[in-house]
Amino acid sequence: MALLRHTTDDVVERQALTVNPAKTCQPIGAMYAALGIHRCLPHSHGSQGCCSYHRSTLSRHYKEPAMAATSSFTEGSSVFGGQANLLQGLNTIFSVYKPDVVAVHTTCLSETIGDDIPQIADAAVAKGFVPEGKRVIHCNTPSYVGSHTTGFANMTKAMVDYFSTSTTDEKIDGQVNIIPGWVEPADMSEIKRLVKLMGLDGITFPDTSGVLDAPLKSEYNMYPDGGTTIDQLESTGDSAGTIALGPICSGPAAEALKNKCQVPQETLPLPIGLRATDIFIQALRKYNGGEVPAEITAERGRLVDLVSDMSQYFYGKTVALWGDPDQLVSLTQFLVDLDMRPKYIVTGTPGKAFLRRIGEVLGDSVKEVIAKQGPQADMLYLHQLIKREKVDLLIGNTYGKYISRDEDIPLLRHGFPIIDRIGHQYFPTTGYRGAMRLCEKILDAFLDRQDRDSPEESFELTM
Amino acid sequence: MRKIAIYGKGGIGKSTTTQNTVAALAEMGKKIMVVGCDPKADSTRLLLHGLAQKSVLDTLREEGEDVELDDIRREGYGNCLCVESGGPEPGVGCAGRGIITSINMLEQLGAYEESEELDYSFYDVLGDVVCGGFAMPIREGKAQEIYIVCSGEMMAMYAANNICKGIMKFAESGGVRLGGLICNSRNVDNEKEMIEEFAKQLGTQMIHFVPRDNDVQRAEIRKMTVIDWNSSCPQADEYRALAANIDANKLFVVPNPLQVEQLEELLMEFGLLEGVA
Amino acid sequence: MSTERINTPDLNTPSEPFVVEALTAEQIKEELTRQYPSKVKRKRDKQIVLNEKKKDESGSLTLPVINANTRTSPGIITQRGCTYAGCKGVIMGPTRDIINITHGPIGCGYYSWLTRRNQTKPPTEEHDNYIPYSFSTDMQDENIIFGGEKKLKAAIKEAYEMFHPKAIAVFATCPVGLIGDDVHQACREMKRELVDCNVFAFSCEGYKGVSQSAGHHIANNGVFQNMVGNQTKEPKGKFKINLLGEYNIGGDAFVLEEMFEKCGITLLSTFSGNSTVEQFEQAHWAELNCVMCHRSINYVADMIEKKYGAPWIKVNFIGAKATAKSLRKIAEFFNDPDLTERVENFITAEYPAVLKAQAEILPRTEGKRAMLFVGGSRAHSYQELFSEIGMKTIAAGYEFAHRDDYEGRKVLPDIKVDADSRNIEELTVERDEELYREPKTNADLESLKNRDFFENYKGMMADMGEKAMIIDDVSHHEAEKLIEMCQPDIFCAGIKEKYAVQKLGVPCKQLHSYDYGGPYAGFQGAIQFYSDIDRMVNSKVKDMIKAPWE
Repeated sequence: MALLRHTTDDVVERQALTVNPAKTCQPIGAMYAALGIHRCLPHSHGSQGCCSYHRSTLSRHYKEPAMAATSSFTEGSSVFGGQANLLQGLNTIFSVYKPDVVAVHTTCLSETIGDDIPQIADAAVAKGFVPEGKRVIHCNTPSYVGSHTTGFANMTKAMVDYFSTSTTDEKIDGQVNIIPGWVEPADMSEIKRLVKLMGLDGITFPDTSGVLDAPLKSEYNMYPDGGTTIDQLESTGDSAGTIALGPICSGPAAEALKNKCQVPQETLPLPIGLRATDIFIQALRKYNGGEVPAEITAERGRLVDLVSDMSQYFYGKTVALWGDPDQLVSLTQFLVDLDMRPKYIVTGTPGKAFLRRIGEVLGDSVKEVIAKQGPQADMLYLHQLIKREKVDLLIGNTYGKYISRDEDIPLLRHGFPIIDRIGHQYFPTTGYRGAMRLCEKILDAFLDRQDRDSPEESFELTM
Repeated sequence: MRKIAIYGKGGIGKSTTTQNTVAALAEMGKKIMVVGCDPKADSTRLLLHGLAQKSVLDTLREEGEDVELDDIRREGYGNCLCVESGGPEPGVGCAGRGIITSINMLEQLGAYEESEELDYSFYDVLGDVVCGGFAMPIREGKAQEIYIVCSGEMMAMYAANNICKGIMKFAESGGVRLGGLICNSRNVDNEKEMIEEFAKQLGTQMIHFVPRDNDVQRAEIRKMTVIDWNSSCPQADEYRALAANIDANKLFVVPNPLQVEQLEELLMEFGLLEGVA
Repeated sequence: MSTERINTPDLNTPSEPFVVEALTAEQIKEELTRQYPSKVKRKRDKQIVLNEKKKDESGSLTLPVINANTRTSPGIITQRGCTYAGCKGVIMGPTRDIINITHGPIGCGYYSWLTRRNQTKPPTEEHDNYIPYSFSTDMQDENIIFGGEKKLKAAIKEAYEMFHPKAIAVFATCPVGLIGDDVHQACREMKRELVDCNVFAFSCEGYKGVSQSAGHHIANNGVFQNMVGNQTKEPKGKFKINLLGEYNIGGDAFVLEEMFEKCGITLLSTFSGNSTVEQFEQAHWAELNCVMCHRSINYVADMIEKKYGAPWIKVNFIGAKATAKSLRKIAEFFNDPDLTERVENFITAEYPAVLKAQAEILPRTEGKRAMLFVGGSRAHSYQELFSEIGMKTIAAGYEFAHRDDYEGRKVLPDIKVDADSRNIEELTVERDEELYREPKTNADLESLKNRDFFENYKGMMADMGEKAMIIDDVSHHEAEKLIEMCQPDIFCAGIKEKYAVQKLGVPCKQLHSYDYGGPYAGFQGAIQFYSDIDRMVNSKVKDMIKAPWE
């Protein structure tokens, strides 16, 4: 029986209704980004439910504690404003949970009321609720603007606004800021590994590796070893340059850092796939004198070898993708490079720049592709397109499993959230090694399907 | 660039005073942007000669993300730049949120960038600071100076005092300061002296006393500021004086709002309130 | 074979005083709140009590007073969610043929999309099932500024034209309440326009109330006003009951549906696991309402009784013994020899497997200690299951319950209604002269009433050991301290707590989602639970944590 039994191939233009969204709201992105600061407690300034939903979703995806506090708004605070709540909240947080940084983000409720967070934070300092040396930072994350990716970008930018300092006119040679965007903790580790191999001192922010993939040690530390430290964040103002990975999630922070501390910046695609990783390595070469260690070149070579071995299975295969713009653009590029054919691409994250970027990646083949952004670019729409004309592979988050089962199309889980599988947080899909893993997973999906479906007489041992 | 917010009780003549002052500053050769923060979007009609301009929020609603500065900014009298935030019709939606959104939009579009070479930007804000959105113009990094338009009428003074309470909250943590009271005369007895005293008690000054003059209305009927309509009439000089005072102003304070009793005392002192036995 | 003679550990056996190594219960309690600012500490001290039961002169039990259903202090890392979650997520979520449109920014509709594991089984391919869908108006900045009513009405219309559902429900989120969109008026208009679709709204903005609980109440009111009573034809069947407060997480309701069918009991409706609009609309024809989760659904039970006459009893199908007891209670109400026989036969058929499982597992679980901090009834009902495999509950508390869920319904008259509860509408319900029926029972109604057969929920405390630690709305800080000091063998909570607890080396059983396992209800469910707990408390992981060189 069909799970999504009401979905038909009759695509009707909708103006108001979103069905099965391909995005969620800003604050969760701010919360995830804030967890990438060492010893930071995110704080949700709004009703309890927001914080609860975000923590739950992050925990379901990362299979790790996602600690955050809330202003616990009541009807009274929604009328009188949330100042009293945030003041009391900061007092309690610093008394009990003792973080070094509290990163406040707003919600649709406090945004609509118009609470002025810096003013409240200053009042908390004046009242002595913020101990010496501890910091309160903030960003505005109205849920009715952008998407979860916007929230991530805003909190990342707040790190620049609050911490980045330029102490000298001379920038530090070989120190590069890397803004990795919304990727898995393992991706952040992988990106850091590549930067280190290139012989550079990278400051990666935010950095959730070591926070949302912490080891089991039979003791619980609310603030695990990972995360970008305040010292590092301050030092970003003295770096020789910034490499922002993904214009949506990382671009605004890089731009702010350029304006604030005159750190030159380059915004690149997320290094998913061969070409995007090449671009990343090329960008790093500008800071290390141009040398690329043999190890990286060998990794790249192995990827190309794998692509060559797998090519016969990938050629011409059609794909439907949904998720976040930064991921989708790089994934689309990689699929094109693998001779596959992205067919439908949707993101709920609004912004026409996405369509331009997809167009650039696809070149002439863009005519064969349907790409859509905004509230009605949802998974119902995507499913309807698939019903009109099937694809060979789905790439996207967990919610695709319903389409996958109904239409009997293999699903490669990628993006956020993945709440029905464990392990994704440990294995990167960025860099050359990440690209190899993507290839392996795609091929497994195709060949498992072939093994399942092939008639007895053509069932084969070797491939 | 100096960023100035004008507050005051509804109907006190904020928009009229602001626009006439802007006209005078423009006449002095200053480059000015005026941002109307009233959902009715009528804060710049004298500068634009009534030209109905599309508000920021309407533009945002119709154009989506592809908004350019030129779509929402019109040039008015003396090359001043006029922007109307706009907002919902009465009884629906959230006007306060509208102000937050449009000021953010202006910042994103670079309306306040140095390259715009503005000397002044004015925020003309709706009567009362009824919710957080209406305080947006005086948040940290926005307007640094506030002038309150008031008169010798009790409710106007009461409102001015309340606005001072609002300013205090933001001034304690941020950089916003009160620059003075603008008395827009209603021909109340002892009005000038009383407002001067009121200003003193608040810790500020009466920056100018604008006498009541029907020329203001005459100009307004023609959708013009006084200077624009008849630059040689005496009222035009009053606005020039106000503009000059603002331009030269150095007294910026965190106000001390009065207790209700103090306010009543003041009114009694100047003979406006009968003592209650 | 009578199950009465079967020797199962008795839940009500008083356990020894709660002592952990050198620390007394009082010392532990003090330690939990020591670090709070004084105002927060004062508040929390009233929400953490030691279960000191006293017998008064008349011999009746007095329980300590606990502060519950009050605001969580800002800054506390709480388990609690919001009113929207309680209304849309918990109560309305499990019904398969209503299109639930969240009116607000995208997040609320997104996070409540399929995350509560409410299973549902439409009988055929042709039957409606909207549970795998999430519907939202995805409000944008301009909808907040200029108002969202127009968009809401357009969304309702689009949903209707695409899907033609029987009913559309609209859920208001925080900013909608703030900007004043009149969701009820919009729904009334659309209901008139669409004619064959019931359209109604819930004012369940997240800032209302102090937890999900307010949302339960709002949902109860909405279901009662908009659906219950709409079916004027009496449905067929003998021994008609409703099952209230069962949400079919992990398939619990499926187990219970089968059980009732085998016993010859007609289940008219479940509120709201595996439910449909049709079920709600005929619910008033039931002769008896059986309440599982008292906290979330007692309002509907009360309102049905007032308006239509059917009384309610508290049941518990979590735990084998409790299941047998609850089935017998239903049989006792109907007092029909045939029904009683079928119930006894069912118990006799199912119980040996339970006993076998218990006997096999008990040696590995006996004496182990559990902590349960979850929900508004589960932290109580699951103690039964633990006790059946010899495990003791040393600390427990609810996330969003009220005092009556701790101290029993007898405290209802003493509960102060504060401002946060007062703004949740309390419906005035009057008897429906046409449809009201006196309870139809062969039993001696008066004698049943006299022994508190109906409307009797004794609460968690009465069943817990002396000086057990009872904590309402436990915070992360308290939970962590408690685990460190007491080292329980298992901790039951939800997803937000799970991984922090497990970092401490203690297995955490999720009692909202069952860790994607279950079902745990009824006899089969009990066996499943024993086995899951056995696996967890005897997990090898604990022995692997230390590296050989550490």
